[in-house]
Amino acid sequence: MSIRFPSEEWVAAFFKAINESPEYLEGGKPWTYGVTALVVNPQPEIGLTEAYGIWLDLHEGVCREAHACTVEEAQTAPFCIFGDYARWKQVIHKELEPVKGMMQGKLKLKGNLQIIVRNVKAAQALVTCATRVPTTFLDEP
Amino acid sequence: MGGYVGRYLEVDLTRGSITDLPITEEVRRKYLGGSGLAAYLFFLRGKYTADPLGPDNDLFVLTGPISGTLVPGSSRFAVAARSPLTGIWGEGSCGGDFAPALKRCGVDGLVFVGQSPTPVMFVLDGGEVALRDATDLWGLDTYETTDRLRETMAGKRRPSVLSIGQAGENLVHFAAIANNKHDFVGRTGMGAVMGSKRLKAIVCRGEGTIPIADPVAYKVICKELVSKISQAVPAQALKEMGTDSAMDLGMMIGDIPIANWSRGEDFELSNALSGPTMSETYLKRGLACYACPIACRREVEVPDGPYKMAVGPGPEYETCASFGTMLAQKDLAGVIKSNEWCNRYGVDSISAGCTIAWAYDCFSKGLLTLEDTGGVPLEFGYVDGAIAMLHKLARREGIGDLLADGSRAAARRLGRGSEELTAEIKGLEIPMHDPRGSHGLALSYMTSYRGACHKAHLVEAIEHGLAGYTDVGLEENYDGLSSEGKAPMVRIGEDLGVPLNALALCEFDMWCYQFDDLVRAIRAVTGWEDFSVEEYRRTGERLWLLKRALNNLMGVTRVDDCLPLKIRTPLPDGAAAGLVPDEALLLGDYYQERGLDETGRPLAEILQRAGLAEVDAVLHR
Repeated sequence: MSIRFPSEEWVAAFFKAINESPEYLEGGKPWTYGVTALVVNPQPEIGLTEAYGIWLDLHEGVCREAHACTVEEAQTAPFCIFGDYARWKQVIHKELEPVKGMMQGKLKLKGNLQIIVRNVKAAQALVTCATRVPTTFLDEP
Repeated sequence: MGGYVGRYLEVDLTRGSITDLPITEEVRRKYLGGSGLAAYLFFLRGKYTADPLGPDNDLFVLTGPISGTLVPGSSRFAVAARSPLTGIWGEGSCGGDFAPALKRCGVDGLVFVGQSPTPVMFVLDGGEVALRDATDLWGLDTYETTDRLRETMAGKRRPSVLSIGQAGENLVHFAAIANNKHDFVGRTGMGAVMGSKRLKAIVCRGEGTIPIADPVAYKVICKELVSKISQAVPAQALKEMGTDSAMDLGMMIGDIPIANWSRGEDFELSNALSGPTMSETYLKRGLACYACPIACRREVEVPDGPYKMAVGPGPEYETCASFGTMLAQKDLAGVIKSNEWCNRYGVDSISAGCTIAWAYDCFSKGLLTLEDTGGVPLEFGYVDGAIAMLHKLARREGIGDLLADGSRAAARRLGRGSEELTAEIKGLEIPMHDPRGSHGLALSYMTSYRGACHKAHLVEAIEHGLAGYTDVGLEENYDGLSSEGKAPMVRIGEDLGVPLNALALCEFDMWCYQFDDLVRAIRAVTGWEDFSVEEYRRTGERLWLLKRALNNLMGVTRVDDCLPLKIRTPLPDGAAAGLVPDEALLLGDYYQERGLDETGRPLAEILQRAGLAEVDAVLHR
């Protein structure tokens, strides 16, 4: 069964996918830099009237906690990545590598770019986990 | 008219004379300056068959209309001549502070002809213009030369120094020209041309100003550009981590060459050699070229150990790859030391590193032995071997004499299949971006007018998505691993990128704004009120065609537009594993797109349409 993105169910499924992923266990091992929050910018025409935050407490290859959050809470995380809905959809489809997206300005980073740049493997593994969540998108019938 | 200061000098080194070289406004607008104007002057002189290291190979040192202004990234100038490394059109450019210094002396450019019987230097000091004896400088490295000249010309304003090291003096075919200690005209061996003329240095110090046609608009656009650059993530990454900021990212997309182009992925290597690692270990501070808000240059210190180095210029990405990943060695301090020797001797760290990596490959296959190398084991992972080779090649000692002519010539001399281990196009070693991960870049390597080059166009930035110019017909995303439909992108990337080396402007700044912004800056500086993006693109096409025609006149045909076997061999791992660019598809599309005939020459009507009737008359006579 496909899960709508973004939603609490999707966040829970992503949490499970990360912790079941041998790729993230390996690739995410060097990540000890704290919470990363993802923010989907609002897009009322597809029903996303408010920004949607996803809080990911990642540490040494595991996700210790994940929950949906407000944009205000997201911005308290050491790393907060903002993007439009279409960009996150590209990320989940593996069409946009998130670190490259940040370099290109397609995703906006609040946090230390240097740490992000040297952890591309972790980011890559995280995307692989996202692709394993069966997802339906708000802008698709 | 603004931008230009109005004077070009021709320096005859054989006779010791200095004369004014008149350049009309029409010619300036058509070819801009820098390497564009150099190509036109080279064409007019018709010395296509001149020995690159002989007295007839004229050396052009030219600024552009926005060089030395406060337009961000305008510190650059270009040096051009027939290349001793490739035998075709050679050019290089660099930042630093030479261009503003030259223009403050009231001079837009210099052309050196002939050959001095003894070492000389050319000095512009305010209103004084003179050739002076440089016998006492001959044999010094570039750092020593710069220090010596700055000591002897001490004063309120420090002079800007262009110099060659021992590599240029010894006619190493990929010798570079240093601007002070930090910036280098690296590619195509312009330092060897300078050495062949026994021109050790060019020194400039001036107090003049550069005329600006519309000072109000100029102030507004400069402020806007600085703001745009400051907000752009690539600029932030370059500022924080230097040009080596994205080595890990490059590793992920199949961009980084490993062990002489034989492997596609090794994150341990990229992590050890990346910009973030340099920032956390050896970096003292970032430094900016004149009028640049980015400050991507690195100043580093290795406090102790075998590669100890006092605070000084650090390596950029290309050197971290050519003396790091290419040798499969992960000692960043070793790269820093290699970089210091490249700088001091004055060699292009790309060609030097690639030629040395070729020697490592030969050694691993038994084509070179300890006897050949003077007892140095050239084993991948061993950086001391590369440093030893640098010492030898700069002095042309032992195996160094083989390496000093570049990988193509070295492989031809060595033979026995070693030719298959080189990675060069038209004699110029491929820079540190693997074209198997970027097929558009592969095409641009094949068609670039100076051989395998990533800086004579904007293709790398466009295909990697670092720069987006959707307002000029480019798409937002390109799949680097596909050869389909790349020719139009490459053509546009060339037409947009070629004029940057004529203006002369830094590509990194250009990543952060649009061409409409640049055109506004050009208008404000020059006063060319009707200058448009369309004229800019047409100028880019004209300059590309002109340089292609020059290469045709120097013997280039379609046969030379090809990828080496190394690149036609799929990688075993990494993002580009199993894939190679479709050479026939890429070139077939491109020849049609660009209007080249089956021999690789621009069609007559294409040259005519580009305003190059006189070139057509020579090329097709």
